[in-house]
Amino acid sequence: MDNSFFNRRSVLRGMAGSTALLAMPGLARRAMAQGAELGPYQQAKIDWRQAEGETITVAVIPAAYFENLITLAPQFEELTGVKLRFEKVPPAQIRQKAVLDLTSGTGTYATHAADPMYYALYQANGWVDPLDDYLNDASLTDKDWFRPDDIVPAWTAANTIDGKLYGIPYDGEVTLQVLRKDLYEAKGLAPAEDLDGFVANAKAVHDPDNRIWGTALRGLAGAGQNVYIYSSLFRAFGGDWLPGGNLTVNGPEAEAALAWYVQTMKDYAPAAAQGWNWPDIADAFSQGTVASYIDAHSSASVINTPDKSQVIGKIAYARWPKGPSGKRVSSIWNWGLPINAKLSDKAKKATWLFIQWAASPETQARTSYLFSGPTKRSGVNRLSLWEQPEYVQTVSGFGDNFVEATLTALKEDTDVDWRPRVPQWPGIGDAVATAIASALAGQATPKSALDAAQAQVTKMMQ
Amino acid sequence: MTGDGEAVPARGWGGDDPPSRRDYGRESRRREHRFAAALLGPAFMALIATTTFPLFYLVWVSVQRLDLGMPFMNGFTGSANYMQLLSDPRFWQSLGASLVYTVSTVVLQVVVGLGLALAVLEMKRGQSLFRIIAILPVVLSPAVVGMVWRSFMLTPEFGVIDYLGITAGLGSHNWLGDPTLAMISVIVIHTWQWTPFAFMVLLASLAALPDDLYEAARIDRASGWQRFTRITLPLIRPAIIMVIIMRTMVALTAFAAIFTVTGGGPGTATEILNLYAYRKSFTELSLGYGAALAVALLLLTIAISGLLFLLRRGK
Repeated sequence: MDNSFFNRRSVLRGMAGSTALLAMPGLARRAMAQGAELGPYQQAKIDWRQAEGETITVAVIPAAYFENLITLAPQFEELTGVKLRFEKVPPAQIRQKAVLDLTSGTGTYATHAADPMYYALYQANGWVDPLDDYLNDASLTDKDWFRPDDIVPAWTAANTIDGKLYGIPYDGEVTLQVLRKDLYEAKGLAPAEDLDGFVANAKAVHDPDNRIWGTALRGLAGAGQNVYIYSSLFRAFGGDWLPGGNLTVNGPEAEAALAWYVQTMKDYAPAAAQGWNWPDIADAFSQGTVASYIDAHSSASVINTPDKSQVIGKIAYARWPKGPSGKRVSSIWNWGLPINAKLSDKAKKATWLFIQWAASPETQARTSYLFSGPTKRSGVNRLSLWEQPEYVQTVSGFGDNFVEATLTALKEDTDVDWRPRVPQWPGIGDAVATAIASALAGQATPKSALDAAQAQVTKMMQ
Repeated sequence: MTGDGEAVPARGWGGDDPPSRRDYGRESRRREHRFAAALLGPAFMALIATTTFPLFYLVWVSVQRLDLGMPFMNGFTGSANYMQLLSDPRFWQSLGASLVYTVSTVVLQVVVGLGLALAVLEMKRGQSLFRIIAILPVVLSPAVVGMVWRSFMLTPEFGVIDYLGITAGLGSHNWLGDPTLAMISVIVIHTWQWTPFAFMVLLASLAALPDDLYEAARIDRASGWQRFTRITLPLIRPAIIMVIIMRTMVALTAFAAIFTVTGGGPGTATEILNLYAYRKSFTELSLGYGAALAVALLLLTIAISGLLFLLRRGK
């Protein structure tokens, strides 16, 4: 998830989970790990112990989906004899820390939770290994067991540069409309089919005097914050990031998309939403002050937190509304795992074994519906899991139409060119984020803000 | 070391062939120098490695093109980064923001600090308690101060300031979402945190002023205002200028509080030069250009501080 704050709940939960695990006597844990636990992994026709004795460091973000994985780490250590060290870095810093490690060439992080927008940068600098070699090496990967084709195709496509795969998706998301079913029903509204319908719905339920705002979208400046929503709008308005190979962030489609964003936020969102990221929006929705939002499907676990949310049972989901171009464009965000090119060969093997283990159908299931802790993941990387009855049953508790909307969006609404996948993305994303923020703040008109961003981008690309 | 070779009595430390008194003195001095150098060496090397070397490295990076986003373009560019900087509207805008931020925070700190110091000086009781309370903001980390203001004080509808505003009939304002209000907010936050510093320094220097001057002035029937402008201000002038210099240097290079409160936003409204350099270097990964911005900020800080030091020596 493209979040930028510590999710306190998930951290606390993870801490509680790991404390419980530590409290268990070590022997019992080992015995448990040795038994039936490893069976499904040993069916893979590879030598899991070929990198025995290695220690690798993995940087992840402190989110429930990684906490669940960390809880299972002893199983991996038992299976392979490779020791794992996890370092938790908040999402706002993990990109910089990873880039710092990769530039210095020290190979501190064998792998890390990587932003799909950064692979082009990694690839241009030769910082990470193409993973096809690992995937196609029969001594390292049992394809029949690992089933790479089952991984959500849009996510692997997002992590592919020039036909080569650089990160295996571990967890991902699509963007959906999240709606207050009760408010919509009271007004006889149906989930919006297009952006105009979305605004009309927001208008119908907008009632700030009674502390209900029509909608809220991410306003906080950042390539992973407001640009995250804006990119979908831009594409839905028919925008193209790279017309004729020139990176373009302004133009009529961009202006129309940004104007829609600004107007919708101004008319129907709380003023403070300008500085909000998704956790703030999800919190406001949980408190019942926001009637709809468009964001990652994984925010569903936040708005369904029993003691915090006042809207459980009143939530419905729907796909992105269509834009004027007729397209619905969802995020293709995923946290993938690349291999640091600076590692020794043996450490690379160990890292690949870890990635294969983490992304395998078995571990994906064990960190979601089979997980014994309170938080079940909703961003599993396997299409087959989304069709598994136990999984569907677990996540459909999040609200009406959740599974259906997510699965349809995963299959139909994803768009590889959602954001321009070029090495200069960090700079471009920041310029666009600033433009959106100044337009939202009324500091500039959408046109002048985007033109200024274009001037910066042009300079960057020279 | 006496520093005078003649004065050192020659004892037979030189062995079979004792040096003359002069030679011995020189030898001893040289030895002492070597010893001093050996003692100083490690600290000096550490200082070079941690301050001087990075500084020169920064200058070296600033004359290179070093874009992690386009590694194939990297190389020496001479003054290209600096030429680009001169024609970069965002540089001038951030420079303007830096100057507005610096001038207003420093003026406010000195004025408010001096006012408080004068008021407290007259207090007969509770002065030390007041001093302790006043110093509290200074000991907080600017990042913490930023978070506190951002979430507890300025949030629309829920923050203390906004609540007071609503209660006073001024209505709710989006303090950090409006370009002008956001700038005012970060200035107020910085002033709130650092005025106690000015206050403490000025209070100390006020307390040290001789009473007889004021007595003489009273005998000459000087008014309160006259005593303040003709006696107090000239006497504490060095302290005021010292406060101005120190606070200017800090305000020009401020970072943490603004970064946590607005991140330079909305848009670029509170993006001071330091934040712009940070964004260029670590968000856009244009290390060369970011370094050039940092060097520009360094030169600016040195120039302004130098000017203020000259002003101090002026009288």
